[in-house]
Amino acid sequence: MSRNNWLLMLSVGVLSFALMSQGANSADSTEQINNDSCMKCHKRNGAMQGHHAQEQLKMSCSSCHGEQGNHPKKPNDLMVFSVENDMTIDTKNGVCLKCHSPKKIAQAEWTHNVHAQKVSCTSCHKLHPESDPIMGLGAKDSSNVCRNCHTVQR
Amino acid sequence: MENSRRHFLKSTCALVAGVSVYPLSRDQANADTGIRINNLKYAMLHDETKCIGCNACVEACREVNHVPEGVTRLSIEQSGPYGKYPNQYYHFSRHSCQHCEDAPCVNVCPTGAAFIDKENGIVSVNADKCVGCQYCILACPYDVRFINPVTKAADKCDFCRETNLKQDKQPACVEACPTKALVFGNLKDPESELVMLLKANPTQRTKLDLGTRPKLFRITAKQGEIIL
Repeated sequence: MSRNNWLLMLSVGVLSFALMSQGANSADSTEQINNDSCMKCHKRNGAMQGHHAQEQLKMSCSSCHGEQGNHPKKPNDLMVFSVENDMTIDTKNGVCLKCHSPKKIAQAEWTHNVHAQKVSCTSCHKLHPESDPIMGLGAKDSSNVCRNCHTVQR
Repeated sequence: MENSRRHFLKSTCALVAGVSVYPLSRDQANADTGIRINNLKYAMLHDETKCIGCNACVEACREVNHVPEGVTRLSIEQSGPYGKYPNQYYHFSRHSCQHCEDAPCVNVCPTGAAFIDKENGIVSVNADKCVGCQYCILACPYDVRFINPVTKAADKCDFCRETNLKQDKQPACVEACPTKALVFGNLKDPESELVMLLKANPTQRTKLDLGTRPKLFRITAKQGEIIL
């Protein structure tokens, strides 16, 4: 009986250790990308907490924004995905489509199909914050997102 | 003797004529009041070429009419995608009560809970009278009725008869539509936007062959889109 107890205690100990180490792992998972050399200057606006920061994906800032090139001098080839930027939608979306196939994103959400060349991915998706605000929106909020662009004057 | 016989025949003829004409004239009078009552007949038009499938109408209806989660008075049915990536498109059509003039749900209702509002032609439900037998749900050829889990009565779209119409507003779905794909109005008013659109566009109604005379019109989606 006491041996059984001892075995039980041991297994619980091993399990909890495994869980803790896993927890610790997930906490550090964004460390690699946030130790990127870009972060020396872009401390404030560069922090990457989202899904794409996972260590397993082995992504760096340049995976999306392109190589440093002339930067910080202008002009340079860095890609900035803000609305004011004059990159074409196709160039912006090409970066995402390197990994995300149109077929798969269509399965996840039908609206991807109809906006393919009309709207950039970054108009709806935000990658830097911990969770993408567009993911997991309720029915009402998601129809409000459509409304933001599709409203006609009455 | 002969005079009184002629007199009798004359008066009988006059009486018969009078009796036979009287109901006719009464019908005439009734028809007049009928016209007065029926100068309001609500209908709706869904312009599928404008619909973007955002479901704002569904959510607005749920909120205004307090429709519980899990059931709905209206839904937007999506078909597609059509075409090849990246030029794909979808078709959307509205699925809700058609407000039939000869409504099967009303005809089968044993308690009179399902009724047509004589003032405006809206097919509606009196929840207090409904016993939940679900005959109407079976009878409806458009499959738009359901049992409201809260009231336990049959429920469906009533053009917001109890809510927005009472406040002189348009139905919730029409108000919410961002692209103005839904138009609500009076079929008897030739000046109404609804009638104008019905005159100017080819429209369709579903299952006309059943003789239900539905009042939900649709402008069917064409292939592709108009690029200006």
